[in-house]
Amino acid sequence: MLDLTMQAIQASLDGLAARQRITAQNLANSETPGYLAQTVSFEDSLSNAIGDGHVSGTEIATGTTGDPVNINGNNVSVDNETLSMVDTGLRYQLATESMNNKFRILHDSMRQDL
Amino acid sequence: MTSPMFPVFDIAGSALTTHRIWMNAIADNIANVNTVKSMDQPAYQERFIIAQELPSRSGDPVGVGGGVAPVAVELGDAEGRVVYDPQNPLADKNGLVRRPNMDLGDQMTNLILAQRAYQLNLAVVDRARESYQQALNINGR
Repeated sequence: MLDLTMQAIQASLDGLAARQRITAQNLANSETPGYLAQTVSFEDSLSNAIGDGHVSGTEIATGTTGDPVNINGNNVSVDNETLSMVDTGLRYQLATESMNNKFRILHDSMRQDL
Repeated sequence: MTSPMFPVFDIAGSALTTHRIWMNAIADNIANVNTVKSMDQPAYQERFIIAQELPSRSGDPVGVGGGVAPVAVELGDAEGRVVYDPQNPLADKNGLVRRPNMDLGDQMTNLILAQRAYQLNLAVVDRARESYQQALNINGR
């Protein structure tokens, strides 16, 4: 039932949700000795997949930030993680808003009392 | 972070990182304010963070710049303040030792500056978040 736009938005929501989870995990481990901050990337993969006309090939990849580590071997930067939380939250909101729009259009097209 | 959909976060975020590192350096300076060295060693050298503005990020049409980044740590005076302290086990035959040549008043002033700048940048993030949020609500019905 979902068209390509909706599938793309859904894939984007999946990727953003994964990023929120990783950010939460990073913040939870901000004092764990030896813990390396993780990142999530999916945008390039999603963009390529949309270009190919099917979003099922979107890969949500995790990596590390490569930031310098503290004395205890941890490299979580609490300010960057907090910013990522806000940034990702806004992006998520934008994506859900787009999805709402698609459903509104669908809904309007089914109305008979226009 | 990813492509700058919300560029203020990148710019203010770079300042948060820079001022956090500056605060680390000040903490190190204050931690070592009483570190005594023998005369044949350099004194504790004050840490200075050298910051530099970043060039505009891609997609920035007018060139407002891209924030700030710490690029180097410069070290202060290695001579230190040579003081007479014959009781100190590190003292040489003339009773002299090296203490760091730092002013604690300067460090506390810098600490306040760094902390205020950090708070200001957090305030920028907060205001930008509100603005972006308003933009996202344009479509509401």
